[in-house]
Amino acid sequence: MFADGLFILFTVIAVTGAAGLVLFKHPMNGAMSFIVTLIAMAGLYALLSAKLIFAIQLIVYAGAIMSLILFIIMFLNIQEEDLPVEEGRFKYLIGGAIIVAPIGLFLTRVIKSFPGAEKTITVEGFGGIKEVGLILFREWLLPFEIVSILLLVSLVGAVVLAGKRRMVK
Amino acid sequence: MTLQDILLIIIRVAIGAFVPLCFVAVSVWMERRGASFIQDRSGPNRANILGFRAGGLIQNLADAVKLFFKEDVIPAHIKHKFYFVLAPIIVCVTALVSFAVVPFADTLVLGDKEYLMQAIPTDLGILWFLAIASFAVYGIILAGWSSHNKYGMLGGLRSAAQVISYEIPMGLAIISLLVVYGTVSLNEMAQFQGQLLFGFIPMWGVILQPIGVVIFMVAAFAEANRTPFDLAEGESEIVAGYHVEYSGLKFTIFFMGEYVAMFASSAIIVTLYFGGYQIPWFNTATLLKYAVPVTLLLMIATPIIAKFVAAWIRKNNVSHYERENDPRVREANVYIKIVWGAVILLEAIFFLYLVFASGGAADNILVACLQICTFLAKTTFMLFVYVWVRWTLPRFRYDQLQKLGWNVLLPLSLLNIFVTSAIVVALS
Repeated sequence: MFADGLFILFTVIAVTGAAGLVLFKHPMNGAMSFIVTLIAMAGLYALLSAKLIFAIQLIVYAGAIMSLILFIIMFLNIQEEDLPVEEGRFKYLIGGAIIVAPIGLFLTRVIKSFPGAEKTITVEGFGGIKEVGLILFREWLLPFEIVSILLLVSLVGAVVLAGKRRMVK
Repeated sequence: MTLQDILLIIIRVAIGAFVPLCFVAVSVWMERRGASFIQDRSGPNRANILGFRAGGLIQNLADAVKLFFKEDVIPAHIKHKFYFVLAPIIVCVTALVSFAVVPFADTLVLGDKEYLMQAIPTDLGILWFLAIASFAVYGIILAGWSSHNKYGMLGGLRSAAQVISYEIPMGLAIISLLVVYGTVSLNEMAQFQGQLLFGFIPMWGVILQPIGVVIFMVAAFAEANRTPFDLAEGESEIVAGYHVEYSGLKFTIFFMGEYVAMFASSAIIVTLYFGGYQIPWFNTATLLKYAVPVTLLLMIATPIIAKFVAAWIRKNNVSHYERENDPRVREANVYIKIVWGAVILLEAIFFLYLVFASGGAADNILVACLQICTFLAKTTFMLFVYVWVRWTLPRFRYDQLQKLGWNVLLPLSLLNIFVTSAIVVALS
């Protein structure tokens, strides 16, 4: 089926990008492969017909946050000789993979035993912008507002911390 | 899928892809001739094919040929060649794709089927534009970074900082617009703007959101890296910024990308604030109702307009000094013949429509064609505004640019949101 093909394509791209993020030595290569992963994730959201999440994933993660990260990488202007020598990192990688593997197997089993894993989306307009907005502001208003206050607090905290360091100088 | 479905997909994608590319030529021409008009000189008007200069458009052809045949150098010091090649492609492709959700006509109804007249028929609308527009900065960052020299790096840094800080007022201006329209879909926004305010003023965004339009346009100019916000290039300070190492075809793609982005953002400005494809006072329903009188009016109007155009060509397309057998007059004769030929063709089409096809699906197609023409005319005017601003205002200094973004536009757009929401709540 066409949707299955797309799913396989996006997952392969996402996993390849994630592997690139871990394996590439240069930070720019890592950041670029992470962008690829984020875009592939957006594709997966679109396949789940979560339109709003798809757009937000592209705007916020793939667009705004990653461009800030690229900005920082460029700002610091890291050269090859600035990077630390990582001897035996593949040893760590393989060792880590072996340690993590049982957890991965456990997780796949958990997901397989979820009730209703075979279900497909049936509601008309699921994941649309208007529908998500209505649910968010009608049924989940209090959690939504609390999360926004949390974000505001972290914003103010970042400004305060940045200001403090300057005063010490 | 029927043949009609496939045909309409091809038409829509073709319009979405080729119109911006064709408008690259138009806007480069407009940039040069507009600049020379504002600076009181003639501009490029000599390049010709067999004596035909097409008002300077042939110069673009000459430039294109020059750029195609230039050597395409990748300097030896560049380590990340992949990113160096990728950067111009990102800039051009994102600009092209961001146009894909702009509707160029109202929903076309053929029989019992409806077709959204945009290259990608989705109702994501403005969110798609924001998402894709934020990718364009990657092209500039990668170009500046992989060029591996100080000027390129400075250009990339400036551009990234500028785009990030101007995305905020742009997003906030869009939020107040969403409060007014109550939708993110660009087609529904354009339909909303077909209504009339107090019964006689077209309900365009520019009338409902006078502060928002200023904020959005300033931010759009900054996003498109156009003067007065072209610090990323800044020829006098950092030579050409991020594309200092580029030559030949890769530079051409950067250059095209800039103009495609200019076209796409003009189209978005027109759709958000200037009624999109709507003809003022004639929304789609009215046009469909009065299809026959409108056609008759057009049949009368076209020859009159053509007469003025012909007189204008006759007056301007002459040599500025005495010449025997002035070749420019001969050229003008051909142009005038082309104009009248086009008029005859149009009249024939209108006549055939009136006699054979009026009242059916042809009405819808006629309205769609009229709306596409309106949309392109409005967008062309907005492109001229870009040129106009470029050759009128000097470049900002970097600190002035950031001050304008954070100290003026950001509070203003927040205030705009509060005022707009208060009015919308009070009226509902």
